[in-house]
Amino acid sequence: MKGIRYGWILLIAVAFFTATICYPSISISADTIKIGVVGPRTGSAAATGTAFAEGIDLALDYINGKGGLLGKKVEVVFEDTGGVPEKGVAAVEKLVNRDKVPLVVGTSHSSVGIAISEQANRYKTPFIIAESWADEITSKNYKYIFRAGPCNTGVVSEIIKWLKAEGFKKASLVAENTDWGLGIKKLTVEALKEANIEFQTIDTERNSKDHYTELSKIMKYDPEIILAFVYGFGVHYFIAQANEVGLTPKAIIFEGAGPPSLWPQFWENVGDAGNLECFISSMHKSAQPNQVAKDYWDNYVKKFGKEPSDYKSRSIYRVLLIAFDAIEKANSLDGDKLVDALEKSNVTVPSGQVNFGTEKGSVWYHQFQPPMLIIQWQDRQQTVIFPENVATGKLIRE
Amino acid sequence: MLKSKYILGLFILAIFLSFPIYIGKYWLHVSIISLFYVMMASSWNLLAGYTGQVSFAHAAFAGIGAYVSGIIAIKLNIPPTIGLFIGAGIASLFGLGLGMLCIKMGGIYLSLTTLAFSEIIRLIITNEYELTRGTMGLEVPNLIGFYSKTIYFYIMIAVSIIFLLIIYKIIKSDLGTSFRAISNDELAANSLGINVIRVRIVAFVISSAMAGFAGALFGHYLLLITPDISSLSQMFLILAMTIIGGMGSFFGPIIGAFFLETLSEYIRIYGEYHVLIFGIVALIIARFAPSGLDGIYQEKISPKMAKS
Repeated sequence: MKGIRYGWILLIAVAFFTATICYPSISISADTIKIGVVGPRTGSAAATGTAFAEGIDLALDYINGKGGLLGKKVEVVFEDTGGVPEKGVAAVEKLVNRDKVPLVVGTSHSSVGIAISEQANRYKTPFIIAESWADEITSKNYKYIFRAGPCNTGVVSEIIKWLKAEGFKKASLVAENTDWGLGIKKLTVEALKEANIEFQTIDTERNSKDHYTELSKIMKYDPEIILAFVYGFGVHYFIAQANEVGLTPKAIIFEGAGPPSLWPQFWENVGDAGNLECFISSMHKSAQPNQVAKDYWDNYVKKFGKEPSDYKSRSIYRVLLIAFDAIEKANSLDGDKLVDALEKSNVTVPSGQVNFGTEKGSVWYHQFQPPMLIIQWQDRQQTVIFPENVATGKLIRE
Repeated sequence: MLKSKYILGLFILAIFLSFPIYIGKYWLHVSIISLFYVMMASSWNLLAGYTGQVSFAHAAFAGIGAYVSGIIAIKLNIPPTIGLFIGAGIASLFGLGLGMLCIKMGGIYLSLTTLAFSEIIRLIITNEYELTRGTMGLEVPNLIGFYSKTIYFYIMIAVSIIFLLIIYKIIKSDLGTSFRAISNDELAANSLGINVIRVRIVAFVISSAMAGFAGALFGHYLLLITPDISSLSQMFLILAMTIIGGMGSFFGPIIGAFFLETLSEYIRIYGEYHVLIFGIVALIIARFAPSGLDGIYQEKISPKMAKS
């Protein structure tokens, strides 16, 4: 082929060769133990990435303050997933094959969690999920996959208990058209039928800023409560527009993802329409089940000069504590030994004592479900309204 | 002279082919992804760089190819090796349709129409949950029955070389001359007897078939297809690779694909700032080297080498 500029190809080959050979790949035999974390640092859920970064800082302070693990300092390599499965897969590819991490923790999108689970299991690298709720992740019963965070089945069970306790009879169920939204919708529909609660279902687009079509259908139905399974800023618009059309405060909105109701932009976006909104969370100042939870809260305030608001900082802290404990107990970085240590884990984390299910055949295999709280905004203050044993107040209706 | 060039060429090919021996699994993965982008950027360059039809639907064609191949493998048990060709065929049919729709369009109107097409495809994929599993992603079977990065690397190299040879033959043929004539002045080309409509549609069909094949191959490598494959962010990445490498040049997209994919791996450590760094690099190259990296070579380096 006359005219082909071989110089360029040679240059690419040399550059790529140099890049790949010279890139610092740090193995576990070095002076530090590296743990991989994956989470959305960019994209619509970047706030979760920020919360994760805070939790990682606190966890590293804790473990390195104790002298590290196996006599070595602990480091975290935090890779961005952008909330996109392919990016999550690429992140794990890097963590496992370039950074040589012995295990990976994190993630918050179910689609990303599902994609990474396949890959981590293939690479025989233990993966502890913090905040991907899809049941599919643990119901596949993969050996190397653990979840120390909510699963849809567990969350729906708590929501239904609350609906029954409050005596709600008629609900509208609005779910985003994603894996998480449709997954939790399916489970909620089954649970509502079983609880004899009348309901309608409506699918919506996660990033939609205009919810008037959905709201007009809900208004015709006239429910007592709207269960909104929408993650991201879309739910802020939904809450504001529901108030604008007069649906709330007559009907109560329950936001089923949690963090969007705690993001700094929440009040800015929803204004007074946010009052009396309910949401799910795994953390509240008044509900500190143990000393680890109190220490986490105090250390957070000391380090960041504010109280923790997004419970996902505590979620990543939780899974990192579990990972540290597994490495310590396994006294090894071998994947199989870590799995063994995780299955026997009884470490205390801010959500309680960890016990992963070990019986195959259901969603509870390798699953630890942290207790969930139902919180209501009352005059811009959070009030825990369920479960009763930790409640700081009662549900306020119009 | 020609003989020494062939020897050099074979030497370079040998370096690439020996990658699996010494670069490790991670960089092998990066090489595979880079080769996917070589296919995507080169085939888009054939359309945009040589005929001047700046289409934003190229990533959508990759998505069509990937989903068709994946869905028929899952639902109809058709082997992925056959699915690749069916995916490419369906993508080329969509390319034919879109090309015919855009016959009378040029410039911004063509770009906007293809942009709309791309968004329609992405929305369909996202919302047809029962078929595509939406954002959860479609888990698709392996191309070769078992997972081997090395084998995938060689498959990707082989397909890339075939694609590049086809593109090279086209641009050196009468058809390629017609492509450039249309790109330079459509009216003048028409007056000289070039069937502008036919040539434009041919370019659309060839490039969309290549994108469909590349997308299907990529999906079967990742074992997962999500709507992201047909997203505008993918499209802009392909566009950036072509422009930074050198639009309208044979080697530009190859250089751009390897350069940007390797760069993006290096700047991953900067977390949320990596997007910013990526943008700054793209801006600097666009500002100071508008004809791309290949242009720098041709204008600055090659003449000096010729003199010395």
